[in-house]
Amino acid sequence: MHENNVEKGLIILSNVRETIKAEEALKRAGFSVKTVAPPPEIRVGCDLAIEFNIIDRLGVEQALSRIGVKPLDIIPLRDPKLKPLEIFKETQFGEYLMVKAGHMKLTFHLKSGEIVNISGGGCPDVPYLALNLVGKRLGKVEAPGRLGCTLCAYMLDKAYKRALELFNEGK
Amino acid sequence: MLVFIGTVPVKNLPLTFGFCKFEKGKLTVEGCELPIINGTGAALAAAYVTCETLNLPSPYAVIAGDTGLGDGSLQIYKFLESSFTPPSSNIVIAMHYLKPNIFHFRESLKALKKHDPILVADAGSMYVAKAAGTAKNFDLFTPDPGEMAFLADPEAVHPAYVRRYIFELVEEVPRLIRQAYEFSNASRVLLVKGVVDYIAKNGEIIETVKEPCIPALEVIGGTGDTLTGTVSALISCGYEVVEAAIKAAKINRLMGMLHGPSPATKVWEMIPLIKDAIKMLEIKGGR
Repeated sequence: MHENNVEKGLIILSNVRETIKAEEALKRAGFSVKTVAPPPEIRVGCDLAIEFNIIDRLGVEQALSRIGVKPLDIIPLRDPKLKPLEIFKETQFGEYLMVKAGHMKLTFHLKSGEIVNISGGGCPDVPYLALNLVGKRLGKVEAPGRLGCTLCAYMLDKAYKRALELFNEGK
Repeated sequence: MLVFIGTVPVKNLPLTFGFCKFEKGKLTVEGCELPIINGTGAALAAAYVTCETLNLPSPYAVIAGDTGLGDGSLQIYKFLESSFTPPSSNIVIAMHYLKPNIFHFRESLKALKKHDPILVADAGSMYVAKAAGTAKNFDLFTPDPGEMAFLADPEAVHPAYVRRYIFELVEEVPRLIRQAYEFSNASRVLLVKGVVDYIAKNGEIIETVKEPCIPALEVIGGTGDTLTGTVSALISCGYEVVEAAIKAAKINRLMGMLHGPSPATKVWEMIPLIKDAIKMLEIKGGR
């Protein structure tokens, strides 16, 4: 399942929130998957697809069905060249730590774990996530990946997970 | 007059348009109170304070609720495509938090251009303007260095997909600016906000603004949005885009300096200080 030379396929879903949910479920089920850019002809500008080994198609469809996710399409891979960033940077400001994941930033209080600010991004769920997360504590609030829908939320989810990891390490 | 277009994080708020008010810390459009947090809310409040200080009409807002599903963005796109009538002539249109949709963005832009506006874009509108190959239609973009890397990458359709990302490497920004212009993925003028603010026009860096340096501003959500609101208001005042960008960069930094923020400060606490910053810089209205 993990070979690099197997033929790949793409799972096309209706929105990023569903994609994040599907990716998590497929990873839990043991499939080798990763999120990639959909092919240009079906891309609207802010969406994701899941790349998987096409030989696993039946199992993947069953795993998605179990969590109530119905793909819009499953297609053989063409050439999605790009994948979401996997790049982090942390900067300390006294009692606070800012975690950047790509263009998204989350800052929390090192002792309490309170999320004090969220910045970066430009998709409509960024202000919504800020309203729901700022003032709450890491680990005590629903993660951005479950609340948001867009690629900005996807990147903020990465920042959140990294921040939670660092907060737990520092306890 | 300034027309500000974008979504707000208010579930089920239908398409709403009208002049905004920001009084006693409350931001409203047509009686609907908007949260002043990252995004269109912070930008509108900053634009309002700038307009009020310079004796200009209040910004005219076109908004709809959207929490990321794209429903409010779609309402706005369809309104712009078919029904939008500007409240006056000589308008500056600032496009802000919209969920990228290349088809609808192109159609909206086509309709807006009939009113011959000065066009500003930031946030999702800037992402989709670039992804749709329409960047050159805009007079001003206000990216941060990460978004600048996105504009410079001809293949990227969103900042999350950039091939070669940078983290605030100030010395990289001029190269990215050149590259964005080379691939026609930049607006006529760029205001790149960061540790150093770069103002570039047609590929050439015209000015940099470095002082006062307030590191906490990077952390505070919405401080890039206040910059977009302020610069758009200054352009609507009659300042040429480059001049407006330089002044707005200084105003935003002074706003931070006057407050003396910590990383836990919220953007709404600082916005009223834009008025003091404008006065300190002796910026005049009625041009």
